[in-house]
Amino acid sequence: MTTLNRRHILLAGAAGIAASAARIVPASAADDALYAAAKKEGSLNLYWGSYEQKTIEEIRDAFKAKYPGIEVNLLRQASQTVYTRLRLEIQNDAVQCDSLGTTNLLHYIDLKKIGAIQSHKPTNIEKVPEAFRNLDPDNAFTVGAISLTTINQSSKVASPPKSWQALLDAPWAGKITTGSPAFSGDVASWVVAIRKKYGDDFLKAFAKQKPKVGQSNVDTVTDILSGERSVGSGAPFSYSLAQKVAGNPIDVTVPEDGAILNLGLAAVPTKAPHPNAGKLFTDFLYSVETSQILSKNFWPTLRTDVPWAEGRTLQSIKWYRNPVDNLAAEVTEGIAKWKEIVV
Amino acid sequence: MTLSFPTMPTRSASIGHLRHHMLRWIVLAVLLAALILLVVQPLGWILYNGLHDDDTGLWTLGNHRQIFASAALMKPVLNSLLLASAVAVLSTLLGVPLAWLVARTDLPGRGFIRVLTLAAFVTPSFIGALGWILLAAPNSGWLNVGWRVVTGAQAPLMNIYTMAGTIFVCTIYTVPYTFTMVSSALDEMAVELEDAATTLGSGVMRTMITVTIPLVMPAVLVSFILSFIQGMTLFGVPAFLLTPSGTLVVTTKLAEFYQLFPPALFLSAAYCLPLVIVTGGLFYVRHKILGRRQFVTVGGKGRAGRLIRLKKWRLPALAFALIVPVTAVLLPYVAIVLVSLSKAWGLGPVPSNLTFHWYRWAITENPETQRAIVNSLLYAGVAASFCVLLGVIVAYIVERRLLRGAGLLAVLVTIPIIIPGIVLSVGFFSAYTRPPLNFYGTGTIVIAAFVATFLPIAYSQAGSILKGISPDLERAARSVGASEGRAFTAITVPLMRGGLVAGWLLVFIPIMRELSVAIFLVSPKTNVMTTLIYNYKDGGNYEAVCATSTLLLAATLMIVLLARFITEGVARRRRNAASLGEVP
Repeated sequence: MTTLNRRHILLAGAAGIAASAARIVPASAADDALYAAAKKEGSLNLYWGSYEQKTIEEIRDAFKAKYPGIEVNLLRQASQTVYTRLRLEIQNDAVQCDSLGTTNLLHYIDLKKIGAIQSHKPTNIEKVPEAFRNLDPDNAFTVGAISLTTINQSSKVASPPKSWQALLDAPWAGKITTGSPAFSGDVASWVVAIRKKYGDDFLKAFAKQKPKVGQSNVDTVTDILSGERSVGSGAPFSYSLAQKVAGNPIDVTVPEDGAILNLGLAAVPTKAPHPNAGKLFTDFLYSVETSQILSKNFWPTLRTDVPWAEGRTLQSIKWYRNPVDNLAAEVTEGIAKWKEIVV
Repeated sequence: MTLSFPTMPTRSASIGHLRHHMLRWIVLAVLLAALILLVVQPLGWILYNGLHDDDTGLWTLGNHRQIFASAALMKPVLNSLLLASAVAVLSTLLGVPLAWLVARTDLPGRGFIRVLTLAAFVTPSFIGALGWILLAAPNSGWLNVGWRVVTGAQAPLMNIYTMAGTIFVCTIYTVPYTFTMVSSALDEMAVELEDAATTLGSGVMRTMITVTIPLVMPAVLVSFILSFIQGMTLFGVPAFLLTPSGTLVVTTKLAEFYQLFPPALFLSAAYCLPLVIVTGGLFYVRHKILGRRQFVTVGGKGRAGRLIRLKKWRLPALAFALIVPVTAVLLPYVAIVLVSLSKAWGLGPVPSNLTFHWYRWAITENPETQRAIVNSLLYAGVAASFCVLLGVIVAYIVERRLLRGAGLLAVLVTIPIIIPGIVLSVGFFSAYTRPPLNFYGTGTIVIAAFVATFLPIAYSQAGSILKGISPDLERAARSVGASEGRAFTAITVPLMRGGLVAGWLLVFIPIMRELSVAIFLVSPKTNVMTTLIYNYKDGGNYEAVCATSTLLLAATLMIVLLARFITEGVARRRRNAASLGEVP
C-alpha cells in the first residue's frame, strides 16, 4: 500500500517536473511589467488562512525564489482571524494586507460589497479548472485553494462507511467525530450541502449516532489518531492524506454520494500598500511551481496540467459544491439547525 | 491626602519643598499620560464600539438591550459565572494551604513543589487542556485506558469533555496565581504575631486560622478575584473541552460573534459589560472587607526563618501539596513530551517512532520559532517591568491616599483584565493604528497591549504588599527631612523588593502564556510563541505543537528560576543584615 503510494507521488512529481520543463518559456511581457512594478513596491504582506503553515510557507519560498527583490511577510492565521483583521484595518484606514487568502467565499462577497477588494484578472487563469475560472464577473476575487471534505477513518477500520448515508448505519454509533459548523467553514459547507441533499432528517439521524463535535474539522484527525473515535465526518481530505504519508494510521474515503468541495479564495485589497506585489502573488498561485507544491502536500492543484498526488484528478473524484446564491442565509440556517438538532 | 508639614522659614528648605512638589507633579503627569495612552484610550474604543451597530455603524443601545433580553446570549454568561466561581473557590481552597505548607512548614520537597507549581503557572492553559485530552478523553485517554485494564470496567474513570473537566483544568492552571500571591505575602510577613500566638499556647492549626490567614487576607482576596477573572476570560480550555457538549461560555460565544458576516465586533464589545459589572461587584466586596482593617505585618524588622514541624502530618500534607504539580505538570507533560518525540504520534510511544526531529526543527531549522522565542521573552520582560513600575506608583498613590480621587485610578487600572483578550485586542487595534500613535505592525503595540492587560495584576500585588508595610516607617523618614520621593525610594521600595520580584513574575508569566490579546496585533515579524503554537494547532501539527510547548516551558522556567535565584540572594542578605541589627 505504502510503496504504491510513494510510487504514485514520485510519478506525480516526475510528471510535474516534466510539465514544468516543457513549459520553461520566458515570462510574458505582462508578467514582466507586473514584476517590475512589484519590485518597485519592494514587499508583499500575505494574510493567509488557506493551507496549513507548511504548505503556505513552501509557496512563499517558491515565490521568493522566482521573484527576488520582494520581501515577503507571511501572516498565517485562521481564515476568520485574518479576515477580521483586514476588516479592522479597513475600519481604521490602516490596510497592511496585500493578499487575502481565506477559505470562505462569504468573506469576499462581503468585502466586494463594501468596495474593499480590487479587480485583477490573472494572466494565467485559463490554466485553472474551468468550473473555478470565473468565480466573480468582475474578477474581484479568484480561486485560492480547493478544499475537499470527505470521510476519514482509522487504519484499524476494515470496511469504512462508503457514503455520508452509510455513516448513519448502526456500526458507527458512538464512533464518529466531526467539527462544528459554528467554528469551521468547511463543516458549515458540509452542513449546507447535506441539508440540500438529504434534509434535516439526516441531521436528526446523525445526532442519534452521538458524534463527538470538536471545533475545527482538523480535530477529526486528532480523535482518530488518539483512538478516541474511529471515523471522521466532514473531514479534511488533504490534511488526512498528509498525516497518512507521515506514517500515521489514518486513511480517507471519498464518499460515493460526493465529497463536498469548498473553495478558498484570493483577493487584493483596494487599499493594499503593495497592490502589484499582491497581484503578482495571485498570478503565482496558478503557476506550475505552486501546483507542484500543492500536489506534494496532497492538496488539489490549481492547474489542469499538474495532477494531484497519487494520480487523482478533479475528474476522478465525485464532488459537489454548494451554489453561491443565497449561501449566507443557508449557512446561518444550517448552523441554527445544527445547534437545534445535533449539539 | 498629603501629609502637611509646617512651612519652614529657611530659604533652602522652601526650595526643597518646591522641588519635592515639582517631582510629585512630574511623576503624576507622566503617570496620567501613560494611563490615558495605555488604558483609557483602548477602553474608550471598546465602550464606543459597544454603542454602535455592526451593520449600520450608527450609535445605538441595541447591543446592550439585545444581550440582556436574549436568553441565548445570557446563557453563556451564566455558564461563565458558574465556571469562574468554581475556579475561584477551588483555587483558593487548593492554593492558600499549599502556599502556607511551602512557606511555613517543614514539608518535604518544598523547593521541588515550588518549582513545579511555577511550571504549572508557566504552562498556557490551552496546552494543559491538550495534555488532558490525551490523558482523559473518555475512550482513548491514557488514564481511562489504564483504568479499564486494571478494573475491567466499561465506563471511563473520567470524561474531560464536561463542565467538571473544564473547571478542573482551569483550576489547576489558576492555583499558581493564588499560590504565588499568598506565598509571597507569607514570605514578607514578620512572624512575631504567629510567635506570640504560639507562646500563648495556640496550636499550629489555630495559629494558622486565627493569625496567619487573616493577615494574608488581602493577598487571598486579590487572588480569589484574579482566579475568578481567569475563569471568566480563558478561551482555549472551554473551546477545547466544552465544544463537544455544545456548552457555550462568554469567550466561546465571542468567538462565534467573530464568525459572523461581517464579524459582530461591536456586539462583542457590548458583551463584556456583564463581566465588568460582576467583577466590579467583587472588587467592591473586597473593598468593604478590607477597607478599614489593618494589615501591617512588615514593621521593618527582619523575620526569623523558623519552620513549623508537621510531624505525623508530613505525608498527608505532601500528598495534598502534590495535587497541582502532578495534575498540572507531570501528567500532562508526560503526554506532551511523548508526542513531541514522535515521528507520527498516531503510532504511539514505541522505539521505532522516536525522534528529536521536531526539536531540531524548532530550534535550528525554523526561523519562525527562533524569532517567536526571542519576541516572547523580550516583550514579556519589557512589559512586565513597565507593569510593575506603573503598578507600584498607582498602588502607592492609592494606598497612601496621596491624591483625591485615587480610588478612581484604582478602578481604571483594574478594568482591562476583566475584558476577554479578543475584545481587548480590537480595542488596542483601534487605539494604536491611528496617527499619531501608529504602532501597528511593531513590537510596541504588542508590548503596550500586554502592559495594559496585566497592569491590574501588578497593581493588586503592589497594593497587597503596601497594605502590609506600615506608613510609620515612611513618616519617620519624612520627619527627619526626607522628601516624599526619597522616603518612597529609600524606605518603601527596599521593603517591597521581595514582593516586587514576585510581582514581576506574576506579570511576566501570564504574558508569556497569553494568547488572545496578541491575536490581531502580532505581525509576521512580531509573532510570539503562543500565537505560533495556536497556529500549529490550527493546522493540526501536534508534534510541532508539543515540541514548541515544551520549549516555551523550558525558556520561561529558566527566566523564572533565574529571577527567584536572584530574589532569594537578596532576601538572604537582607535577613543577615537584620540579624546583625542593622536597619534593612
